[in-house]
Amino acid sequence: MAVNLTDLSLPQLEGLKTQLDQEIEFLTSSIGQLKVVQTKYVEAKDSMNVLNKNNKGKELLVPLTSSMYVPGTLNDVEHVLVDVGTGYYVEKNVGETKAFFKRKIDFLTKQIEKIQPALQEKHAMKQAVIEVMNVKIQQLQQSQQASQMVGPTKA
Amino acid sequence: MAEAIQKKLKAEVEKYTQMQKDVSKSMSARQKLETQLTENNIVKEELDLLGSTNTVYKLIGPVLVKQDLDEAKATVTKRLEYINGEIQRYETVLKDMEKKSEQHREVLSSLQQEFQRAQGLAVGKV
Repeated sequence: MAVNLTDLSLPQLEGLKTQLDQEIEFLTSSIGQLKVVQTKYVEAKDSMNVLNKNNKGKELLVPLTSSMYVPGTLNDVEHVLVDVGTGYYVEKNVGETKAFFKRKIDFLTKQIEKIQPALQEKHAMKQAVIEVMNVKIQQLQQSQQASQMVGPTKA
Repeated sequence: MAEAIQKKLKAEVEKYTQMQKDVSKSMSARQKLETQLTENNIVKEELDLLGSTNTVYKLIGPVLVKQDLDEAKATVTKRLEYINGEIQRYETVLKDMEKKSEQHREVLSSLQQEFQRAQGLAVGKV
């Protein structure tokens, strides 16, 4: 950083701290959202393992609503319909679908890895700002105490 | 004298805040476009990976309609073009707005100085 933190006044440091707090909050929530989506993809990928030849023709219960199920048989264990975004759905076979989920998970991992260093940097900066603020506050208190000590003796 | 300037200053400040509001509106619109751009890019990447063995469906309301892969690709490409154009349009609009705000700020500060001077004169007379 080009500006020396010790040169800033207390209100300026306070402002900088709130700004950093906001940035940290934004980055943390971004990582949280990415992690939620990633878990969804991991779960979806795991559930693909159910679709194998051993399970073909087996009976299962299909949820019609969240509280009502109807019996059915697993007919097609090779094809699934995947939502690729913006309203497009693609029919893929099991191998392709697993590859698709793997791509998504890797993509999200990369995004998280991109954000993490930025977040750490912001944390370090906030820590530095807080330290400088503490030093300044202490200095202020000391000078106030000193002037109080001097005050009565003069009077 | 001071009152007239104060009135003018107030009107200018109001104009300025309105302008600031417009700027933030355009900013969020641009951000939304950016999100759409990313999403459509991801979809395009996915569509490019597909072959003739895959069937593409488009969600229209609650139903899935079978669609030609090439047609879907063309739609997404066209959409990307449109979004890029829109982003560019907003970019120029925002630049223009920023320039105008800059000028307005100068007007405001000079008006403020004028007002303070006028006030000082009034106080001096009393």
